[in-house]
Amino acid sequence: VGIGYRAAIGDWTRANLKHFDVIEITVDHCISGSRSTRSAIFDLVGRIPLTAHGVGLSLGTDAPLDDAYLDQVAAVVERLGSPAYSEHLAFTRVPGIDTATLLPLPKTEAIAGKLIAKVRAVQARMPVPFLLENITYVFDWPDSAMTDAEFLSLICRETGAGLLLDIENVYLNATNHGFDPYEFLDALPVGIVKEMHVAGGVTIHDQSLSRPLFADSHSHPVPEPVLDLLEYALARQMPSVIILERDDRLEASNEILDDIARVRARVHRVRAGER
Amino acid sequence: MSESLLDRQRRLVEFMTNGAVIFGDRQSSPSPPAGIDPGLLAVEARFSYAKRMEKITAVLPKTVELLDDRRGRVVRDFIDACPQETISRLENARQFVQFLSARELHEAPDPPYLSDVAACELACAAVDADSESPLSETDDGNRSIARRGIRRSRSAVLLRCRYDVRSVFEAGADRVAPARRDTPLVIVMRASADCPQVFEVAAAIFDLLGSLNDWTDLPGHEDGGSELSELVEHLEKQGLIEVRG
Repeated sequence: VGIGYRAAIGDWTRANLKHFDVIEITVDHCISGSRSTRSAIFDLVGRIPLTAHGVGLSLGTDAPLDDAYLDQVAAVVERLGSPAYSEHLAFTRVPGIDTATLLPLPKTEAIAGKLIAKVRAVQARMPVPFLLENITYVFDWPDSAMTDAEFLSLICRETGAGLLLDIENVYLNATNHGFDPYEFLDALPVGIVKEMHVAGGVTIHDQSLSRPLFADSHSHPVPEPVLDLLEYALARQMPSVIILERDDRLEASNEILDDIARVRARVHRVRAGER
Repeated sequence: MSESLLDRQRRLVEFMTNGAVIFGDRQSSPSPPAGIDPGLLAVEARFSYAKRMEKITAVLPKTVELLDDRRGRVVRDFIDACPQETISRLENARQFVQFLSARELHEAPDPPYLSDVAACELACAAVDADSESPLSETDDGNRSIARRGIRRSRSAVLLRCRYDVRSVFEAGADRVAPARRDTPLVIVMRASADCPQVFEVAAAIFDLLGSLNDWTDLPGHEDGGSELSELVEHLEKQGLIEVRG
């Protein structure tokens, strides 16, 4: 159990490594971050296990992959000694415009076919297993014909890629789009989940919306329903890593340590056979 | 013939990055992609916009602060003119600085030293980011050539300002308006420093540094004692040049 490395609390993270078993590194910070950020990240190598996560690939863009970027990622992954590299099943850009926001894809077999080819191309360039992360989405495409679980499972099954299961995203999507998150978890093949994310978000009240929207802001303590889902998922899946994502209100470090303890307690409950 | 996925993605992204959508100007908003709730897309558009402005503000805090009550109008014009091209903080900041410079061609900057402050903040961020690859700490390939010489430090950026804007960055000096005078600055990251440092240098030194893109022989400087060797030693100590041989 660990956290995602954030430069804003880099000193605090290094001073509190004893509380974590693993640190997740955003590879993009190693590629385009400041010199001090890169130096601080690579200084962690050998001090604690690191796992590599990306945000800049835009796997779902219907255009060729950025091979130069992937080569940089592969080099970072090797330098970190990471056992895996994860990215989002999403797109963020089209040629010339980058929204820097993870956007969903139409969940159809045809689109899955395109993604399967892309995932295989990534796998061919990476020295470690490639994991796909489920995103949270505000809107869905009108032609989506598969459930989230069917779409993810199909791509993972065909490529052998593992899943980085973001439990908070499952919770938010289920709440925003009205499906049962437990059914989603039941539909995932046993053993497919290699890593997990948990986080806490906020509720957005916007005049343009007919109802409140739950957003993945990574800013607040992990809600109890998310921990319940985590515990339920752990009964069927055996991830090697669980990462708490926190990007805002980072000064509330007590909340971070408390969340880590709450996650550990749920892991122990499952291991002790209480579920 | 059905629309390709890329075309659909492009239409969605163009809608999401449209200024009218972001700023809630419904009359000027383009048509949303069919079958997707425009209200939800507008929320997503504002998330994306907010993240972009966070990045720009992180690199250019003084510049954004100086815009003061003109900020809303300037940012709206920026969003309309310059769609986000990358996720990089530095590149988004560079886009904003270039936008401000282009704007000065038809509208006097307010305050007049705005683009100097922006250029200075951008240079500091660029020096901090270090243009050399983080994955390969090797030199530029000239290392094997065992010749004596000097060149400008790889981490140094030269910046010629119309105003002496250094006071803007000094604590407690925010209210002192920078003086208008030609100010040749060098921004450099010293090996032992945590953050870039900004030096004013004499115009002749600025020009000298500008000419030292590549390794350059300076016959006799290594012998010591001469004015030239003292200058070389001084510039090396300041981290402005590299010396070999």
